[in-house]
Amino acid sequence: MAEVNYVQATRVYAKGTPPAVDALDLDIKDGEFMVLVGPSGSGKTTALRMLAGLEPLDGGRVEIGEKDVTWVHPKDRDIAMVFQNYALYPSKTVAENMGFALKMQHVPKDERDRRVREAAKLLDLDDKLLDRKPKALSGGQRQRVAMGRAIVREPRVFLMDEPLSNLDAKLRVQTRSQIAELQRRLGITTVYVTHDQVEAMTMGHRVAVLAGGKLQQCDTPRQLYDNPVNQFVAGFIGSPSMNLQTVPLAEGGVRLAGTVLPLPTAVRTAASQAGLSELVLGIRPEHLHLADGTGELTGEVMLVEELGADALLHVRLAESGNQVVARAEGRKPPSPGQQVTFHVQPDDVFAFHPVTGARLAG
Amino acid sequence: MSAVSASSARPAGQRFREISGQIGWGIVAWVAGIAFFLPVLWMVLTAFKPESAAETWPPKFTFSPTLSQFRLVFSGWGPYVTHSLIATTVSTLLVLLLGVPAAYALSVHPVKHWRDGLFFFISTKMLPIVAAIGPLYVIALKTHLLDSIWLLIILYTAMNLPLAIWLIRSFMLEVPGEMLEAAELDGAGRVRQMGEVIMPVISPGLVSTALICVIFAWNELFLALNLTTTNAATLPMFLISSVPQEGLYIAHLSAAATLASVPVIIVGWIAQRSLVRGLSMGAIK
Amino acid sequence: MTVLEDLAPPPKVEVRPRGASRREAWSRRLPLLPALIYTIVVTQIPFLVTLWYSFQNYFFDVPGGAHWTGLSNYKAVFTNSAFRGALLRSVIMTASAVIVAMILGVAFALLLDRKFLGRSVVRTLIITPFLVMPAAAALVWAGPMLDPNFGLLNYLLQPFGVHHVAWLSTHALGSVIVVMIWQWTPFMTLIVLAGLQGQPADVLEAAKVDGAGALATFREFTFPFLRPYIELGILLGSIYLINVFDAVRLMTNGGPGTATTNLPFYLYEEVNNAFDVGGAAAAGVVTVILTIIVATFALRMFARVFQFEGAGS
Repeated sequence: MAEVNYVQATRVYAKGTPPAVDALDLDIKDGEFMVLVGPSGSGKTTALRMLAGLEPLDGGRVEIGEKDVTWVHPKDRDIAMVFQNYALYPSKTVAENMGFALKMQHVPKDERDRRVREAAKLLDLDDKLLDRKPKALSGGQRQRVAMGRAIVREPRVFLMDEPLSNLDAKLRVQTRSQIAELQRRLGITTVYVTHDQVEAMTMGHRVAVLAGGKLQQCDTPRQLYDNPVNQFVAGFIGSPSMNLQTVPLAEGGVRLAGTVLPLPTAVRTAASQAGLSELVLGIRPEHLHLADGTGELTGEVMLVEELGADALLHVRLAESGNQVVARAEGRKPPSPGQQVTFHVQPDDVFAFHPVTGARLAG
Repeated sequence: MSAVSASSARPAGQRFREISGQIGWGIVAWVAGIAFFLPVLWMVLTAFKPESAAETWPPKFTFSPTLSQFRLVFSGWGPYVTHSLIATTVSTLLVLLLGVPAAYALSVHPVKHWRDGLFFFISTKMLPIVAAIGPLYVIALKTHLLDSIWLLIILYTAMNLPLAIWLIRSFMLEVPGEMLEAAELDGAGRVRQMGEVIMPVISPGLVSTALICVIFAWNELFLALNLTTTNAATLPMFLISSVPQEGLYIAHLSAAATLASVPVIIVGWIAQRSLVRGLSMGAIK
Repeated sequence: MTVLEDLAPPPKVEVRPRGASRREAWSRRLPLLPALIYTIVVTQIPFLVTLWYSFQNYFFDVPGGAHWTGLSNYKAVFTNSAFRGALLRSVIMTASAVIVAMILGVAFALLLDRKFLGRSVVRTLIITPFLVMPAAAALVWAGPMLDPNFGLLNYLLQPFGVHHVAWLSTHALGSVIVVMIWQWTPFMTLIVLAGLQGQPADVLEAAKVDGAGALATFREFTFPFLRPYIELGILLGSIYLINVFDAVRLMTNGGPGTATTNLPFYLYEEVNNAFDVGGAAAAGVVTVILTIIVATFALRMFARVFQFEGAGS
């Protein structure tokens, strides 16, 4: 049983500075692949290190398997960690790197070798690499050795700190799916830190979005996409990111591009209850549907980015002058300078409080 | 699911063990530091003693301090200090003058056999100067350079040049290649590049190099002892002369030793990092 | 972060650019020439003269100057027990000083690598002995520290049953070695400390997570990491220490007898007291040859020491 719980976990680096991790409450189920995602400085790596025992807690506690491990030494937590720069032992061979933790646990040599070779096979690491030193390996190979070092230990929890960030783009995509597949196979609870929301969305069972040390939302990728709980999550998840514009309220909706865009009653009620005269409107690029002259929103195309299958249109909306990005068919996109119109489904429109960022009536 | 709960409690004794471990090793470090510093402290302390308080048993830790020893040193050390200053500064300047272009020719725009050049220079450092002292004396005698400050200048320059070349070279290699390429594209010739790009970037490095050369020249005894008597005698010789055949001298010696060492000590305290780099000939940055 | 670099890294610009003309080659050589010529003249000429004199019979106090004597000076060197004794003592002094200084250096570096109150002050205290003028250090140790009648050391060791020991008489070699160690431990400390501070922190964290305690971490990671630095320190320290002269001359003047006479001092005596230029020259040449042998060894080590194992990625 290896569920992981953060209970009001807090880390403050220097007195008087805002906490790096602020009262984090997060429950990770046994066998779950949980991704901690957020921009740099969001506290995700600190939270991971707190779980590892490499950062002390200034408040709250951390539990593994329902046991409080806040003050337990890293080696006694039965965890294994993959570091961002791999942290391979330079003076040891690959086999020694992978077997080191077992050596510290006084596992007999035969069993050590067996487990190392098994892990190497699982990771597609050739036998002859086992006797090489890290500096003789490529980046991708080192990454796999770092993973192998963790796998060999058969721990209760895997911790991974941005393990793909040092790989080139192609390798990253390849390895991403391999890691996800591996975790599915081994079924070990995994806490994975990344700043890349694409990694988060494709790999995690659930994703916890952090910003400024605080948990913004923890949900499945689908839920994060469809139901962001605040402006930050809405803008962070999804690529290209959601168009967020501050717009004034009008009768029945909001004023945008010289017309009134209708909003659901619930949203309008929430807005007037909060005494707002304007709010932040969120529309995803894929929800701005190009309509031949029949759309509610008009604008002029400033720039077209052709991606092959799609095209991204940078459009300047009429009257208000807001710049938005819209996704269109790649085959025959409009050209710059052209006037276009868009149609938006009312359900695809999000509204956020202009000050707090909270979602208005979701 | 947990209710709102208090912070987890640290197991008894863990914090205590951690702190006492920290303090314990800190104390060991302090003891080591003080033990090592003690002779220096004793030297400085003794410098303030009147001779009568210097050679006593048990050694005195409290006494009425006096500056008379220092005054004595100041009145006697004039020519020695002057010679030391001249020999040190002039040789260091010469070292920089010769060393900067040489380092350039071994790093930025290298000659074909730069490796051999480098190792030639270092080899001169490895051969003991002591081996040639007799013939050196004879040469100096025949060229009328014996007991001349110029002899010391010449020899100190040769002594420090290899070290300086290796050091300056290591600094020059840190100048980003792109910077030089950009300058070249802007029309700067080699000399221009040197003056406007390289020198400003390596100037802290030149200071460290000069510091190391100054330290070695200032402290040098062997050559000064054998090749000078009065006209070029340097500070280390003054120290020796403050040990007379008979009579009390300990406090006076301590004062002389203190004054002789203080410049290098201060320089070394300030430039600790450069010290490491200089002594390892640029290997450790 | 400190990094141990290749001692002779390759230069930036290609050594043989396209269309290398003779003019280009000379323009590259030119800046090197002043230093090169200077060094050759000032260092090689004395050695050539030394070589010349080694075949001469030349005593300062004997009128008539120098005259050819073939290999007799060399014969004298090899049969002379004084030379061999000096050589042996040089080896003993250098080896013991370097080894003890390095052991202490590693210990101090480990102490200074931790955080504690006043850490930079202690660091400054530890490096001060190195900055004291060697002549001053020698005289201060000889007098105020080690004197049998009023020296500080005897006073401090009194509780341990030590009474007015005449260190420079009864333990001359040891005393000189102690001063060498005192002056050079800071050097070793600084080099090893630079290495320690360059150790990648994440490797140590990985070791922590993998279950290595303090001793295991030192044995399996820190020490292998420090090896190039330790080797560099031993190498450089030996080069500097083998030429130690000040302490010998000023503390014991080579004595009692020849108990502390090392090679530099021996050569000095030959010239200064025996006035034997020829003999000293021959001894000098032999010293140089021995040094060349050791130095070739050492230079190869220089190159090897920097097969430095980089961090994991």
